[in-house]
Amino acid sequence: MVRIETIEIIGRQDRELSEISRSFSLGLSVEEMRRISEYFQREGRNPTDAELQALGQAWSEHCSYKSSKIHLKKYLMDIGTKGILSRGDAGVIAIDDKTAVAFKMESHNHPSAIEPYGGAATGVGGILRDVLSMGAQPVALTDVLFFGIRKVKGFPSPKFIEGGVISGIRDYGNRVGIPTLSGGITYARFFSPNVLVNVGCVGIVDRKKLLSSSVNIPGLKLIIAGGKTGRDGIHGVNMASETITREEDISTVQLGSPITKEPLMHAVLEANERGLIYALKDLGGGGLSSVVGEMLQSGGMGGSVYLDRVPLKVQGMAPWEIWISESQERMLLAVKEENENEIHRIMESWDITSSTIGVSEPGRRLRVFYGDEMAIDMDIDFLTNPQPYDRPSSFKEKRENTVIPKYPENIGKVILALLGDRNVRTREFAVRQYDHTVRGSTVLGPFSGIVGREGPTDASVIRASWDSYEGIAVGHGFNPFYSYLDPLAGGADAVDEAVRNIVSVGAEPIGFSDCLNAGSPEDPVVMGEFISMLRGMRSVAARLDIPFASGNVSFYNESGKRRIPTFPTVMAVGKTKDIRNVLSPDFKKISSPIYLVGLPTSDLGGSLYFRTIGVRGGVVPVSNPDFLSRRVRRILDAVNSGTVLSIHDISDGGLATSLGEMTIGSGIGASIDISPFGLRPDFVLFSEPTSSWVVEVKKEREKEFLEIMREDAILLGHTSADSLVISVGDERIASIENEAIRRRWKGGFR
Amino acid sequence: MSKSVRVGIITMEGTNNELEAYLSFLHSGANPEIVHIKSFENRRRKVSDFDILFFPGGFSGGDYVRAGAIMAARIKGSFIREIYEFEGEGRLVMGSCNGFQVLTEIGLLPNTKGDHEIEAALAPNISNRFEARTVYLKINRKDCAFLSNFKVGEIIKLPVAHAEGRFIPAGREILSEISKRNLNALSYVDPRGREAGYPWNPNGSIMNIAGICNSRGNVLGLMPHPERVFYPYTESDWTRQTEHEGMGYRFFKSAVDFVREKF
Repeated sequence: MVRIETIEIIGRQDRELSEISRSFSLGLSVEEMRRISEYFQREGRNPTDAELQALGQAWSEHCSYKSSKIHLKKYLMDIGTKGILSRGDAGVIAIDDKTAVAFKMESHNHPSAIEPYGGAATGVGGILRDVLSMGAQPVALTDVLFFGIRKVKGFPSPKFIEGGVISGIRDYGNRVGIPTLSGGITYARFFSPNVLVNVGCVGIVDRKKLLSSSVNIPGLKLIIAGGKTGRDGIHGVNMASETITREEDISTVQLGSPITKEPLMHAVLEANERGLIYALKDLGGGGLSSVVGEMLQSGGMGGSVYLDRVPLKVQGMAPWEIWISESQERMLLAVKEENENEIHRIMESWDITSSTIGVSEPGRRLRVFYGDEMAIDMDIDFLTNPQPYDRPSSFKEKRENTVIPKYPENIGKVILALLGDRNVRTREFAVRQYDHTVRGSTVLGPFSGIVGREGPTDASVIRASWDSYEGIAVGHGFNPFYSYLDPLAGGADAVDEAVRNIVSVGAEPIGFSDCLNAGSPEDPVVMGEFISMLRGMRSVAARLDIPFASGNVSFYNESGKRRIPTFPTVMAVGKTKDIRNVLSPDFKKISSPIYLVGLPTSDLGGSLYFRTIGVRGGVVPVSNPDFLSRRVRRILDAVNSGTVLSIHDISDGGLATSLGEMTIGSGIGASIDISPFGLRPDFVLFSEPTSSWVVEVKKEREKEFLEIMREDAILLGHTSADSLVISVGDERIASIENEAIRRRWKGGFR
Repeated sequence: MSKSVRVGIITMEGTNNELEAYLSFLHSGANPEIVHIKSFENRRRKVSDFDILFFPGGFSGGDYVRAGAIMAARIKGSFIREIYEFEGEGRLVMGSCNGFQVLTEIGLLPNTKGDHEIEAALAPNISNRFEARTVYLKINRKDCAFLSNFKVGEIIKLPVAHAEGRFIPAGREILSEISKRNLNALSYVDPRGREAGYPWNPNGSIMNIAGICNSRGNVLGLMPHPERVFYPYTESDWTRQTEHEGMGYRFFKSAVDFVREKF
């Protein structure tokens, strides 16, 4: 007989309430425990263990966004909303009258810091389910990773973590057969031991088949399908809502099974295609507790759930454990009674376990039973709505310290050092382990150029369907080094970079997903940085009128005195009407004119150049949304007019690095003269101006190109045969052979 | 009116290239169908319902044991006879990546002795890593139903994406038979068409073997993925190329035309 315990909280002192929260791993504050105690006083009884656990889940930072909600609403949620079809587990934006993209990026930071392989793998699994929940077919995975450099006592070494995370992404993504297409790896001292794993997924959905997670009529059957429920991943959300202080109990990290997920995906999409699903949601953080609560609450319904009908991995689980387990590969379907049997039949045909576990009912009451015993009987609005916090914030005075470093003796050496930097050189050691061609629709993957000597790309492009030429682009923006010095500029520039990357492949940006990474929200300095970051992000996105359709917040990325900078990873999704116009950054033809769109800057704070020569501080360049907006429009016009051969944006390492990268995949060099800028040559070459691109133009269409770009394009020089030559007027300041560039960037990888 | 060419694309849990295989056959004018292995096991479907059988890539059964072994065991446990008969009639069988591994495990390739014994294995890559890249391949045979659109000696490019693709024959005798009968239908080469080592040979295959076609020319297994580059716009270097037919199109069109002419 499974016991349901009653916990006496009514009339307890604060100290005792806090002890109860701690001993049951609820992660609730004294104020929250008091609010709960008052609620049960009104109910006239003490809560069960399951009720307290359910509250611990629903009111966790991870599930409820209680510290960020008011700020997200104020700064991000109102931008470009008319383009959004849905904001569910993933954001959905139309690409034409029939088709939409569903996409989301989210963090799986805490689990990956503890158990990197399982943490990263289940991160991929979770984001796939978020996109699937919209009724969409996942078509691309992305991952943006941030690793530490030094080992911190009591935590695994950065190499161990990196190896585990990459293997986890590889083994899961490759096995489910969705290409891993885009992302990034950044190494910095900030990320020891707080590694960040930000994973993204893009899916395609027929607008008529778009699903909601809202249960808004009574009598719907609630069906759990997929993996069985076990004790893995209990209290995961609570762990993700605290700072990391030690190697946590591994039981909080879930175990993934891509070979269950793969058929589950097919089965759910088949059922959706046939119109049999009314509402759908994936089981992630908080397990059944969060999902049932949110599905019913959002639709204004109540309901009953029978925990003894949930298929289990192990016997003897307590009802509260079943209710909050975060076991992987599970989906909850709400279906009309007449479709219930057909759903079970479809699941059976794919060898997937499914079981009807509950029903929606009128009223605002959630009742959860185990056999005849009542485990939960609560008002659903109270359960799912914690008090949001407007936590105190403090803002540091921004110090404008202009730094002027010594002029380098050998420019060529600096160029090679930047191209060989651990944050610039090839990521093939990781990315070539990810299948990026599965599904046969990858128009542009992570690398492009001559086969066997490919260079990097800015964004990836997927063909939306084999029956049309429409394409979907996906790229990212993030810069923790900028955000560390200036969270507002870092926020703005991350959005700017994501936009640049999408535009570089010739696609029009249509939506963002944001993964916000920060330390503890209980620290006013962190909250101040968080708000500054949002202001920066807003300034750019609002000017372009592009919405943040989905995202997540990951607080508490700190341990002891070490915390990460407060910064966003921004995923951008774009569309192109014709994939045949897509561009790659490798130079295409000798003797083509090369233009710079944008202007070099003397603000080099946080730049790779300053980091490399050991300059701290300086002014961080900040995106000018008006320039960005104008240049985006003009570049897309130039691309669509067919005047452009290749484009690459300017980011880490500046103009010189961008030019170098364009030579890698092509074996074509460049000869440029930087005298027109009238700025120190190292600033021209190594500053990282926002909203900037290098463009190779068709020689015979140069005039047309200039008519479109007007004052935004400045002639740099032309492509040439064997080397990258940089001059200031008549003086040649650097000349590097293409092969030397490629060798440095390859860093020994074959 | 041209005859309908029925293609059975066989899947199980963990198979994940069925979509691009399906579309490749569909866009070649065939009539493809994705069939779960269960349907053959419980006799709802027969192998003889089809003109071409295709074994797609992926990780059948999770491939938590030797690649392709779980799917092969299920086939051997039930409808293997039907497949041998199908092959014996000269009908077409193709497998890419995991599908090649399955064809090797059920003895359809290289099958030098004609007794369907296992004569080779696809072992872990010498880099000991999953390898996703585009490779250069040389076409060594024309009398293979899938290769009639190519010239012998032609150099083509296809994507690979696998962790276990190193072809190893069970003994020297089998290797010499493969060589003598020219079963090595496609081999890994460098950009100038010379047999070369890693990374041009991405997995360390003996004799740079990328694909094997049986003596009769009706069964092809290969590690690369023609179904992923049916149209040129998914070839990894298409942004540097002028308009041309997709590499995958040439494979599938060749097989579909063969069936139309012969059966």
